[in-house]
Amino acid sequence: MGDLTVILAALAEPVRRGIVERLVREGERTVGELAAPLDISTPAVSRHLRILEEAGLIERRVRRQWRLVRVRPEAIGEIERWLLEQKRFWEGALDRLEAAAARQVPKRGKS
Amino acid sequence: MSADELRLERLIAAPPEEVFRLWTTPELLVTWWGPDGVDIPEHALDVRPGGAWRTTMRQPDGARNTVSGRYLEIDPPRRLVFTWAWEDAAGRRGHETVVDVRFESAPGGTHLLLHQARFLDHESRDRHQHGWSSSFDCLARATAKREG
Repeated sequence: MGDLTVILAALAEPVRRGIVERLVREGERTVGELAAPLDISTPAVSRHLRILEEAGLIERRVRRQWRLVRVRPEAIGEIERWLLEQKRFWEGALDRLEAAAARQVPKRGKS
Repeated sequence: MSADELRLERLIAAPPEEVFRLWTTPELLVTWWGPDGVDIPEHALDVRPGGAWRTTMRQPDGARNTVSGRYLEIDPPRRLVFTWAWEDAAGRRGHETVVDVRFESAPGGTHLLLHQARFLDHESRDRHQHGWSSSFDCLARATAKREG
């Protein structure tokens, strides 16, 4: 549960969210490729990557001269699990709300 | 994967005033709260802005889950906003989100829109900035702390 809070806090920032979305879409990328379309300094990109890494959303490795970044599927799985749990709660509750509303209306009397 | 938020919509065959009452009257809320098969052995709902709410659900096998939060906005019969977090067995609250429920009058009843996310979307944040800036200050402080 604590992990999820850190994960979602890291994703709340638009640049970081964009980086993760791109990694999900495109797979592993170099730091340079990630930074290229962004209008921010290299240290700023590094700072965002560090926060994402600390949250467990990405992992980095070095292959020859390349610094590579990829998303950690476990972190995405954590978000999906939470969403599914919430969805189950609300779908079930709203079904019952519909039934409760149907009972309530005739009881209150329609004019 | 813009998927860290949840949006659900329903058409409920009752006017917004009735549906809103089902959400904000504790004795009515416990008749439908939670998925099929659960009952609510404990609840405490202080339905006013800033008021705390807490419900414990009991599954058919006896397992209990508690969820709690605080009301941020109560605007009958249009909108209800509250925070939301599951509690673990020791009563520690997990990840907190904001649930924003809108009740729109529609042919045949109420068009209900439920949005659950880490924050409210920007549009609604801006529109309601003044009314509940203090809630957002709290949220902002919490975020700052997390991000170090």
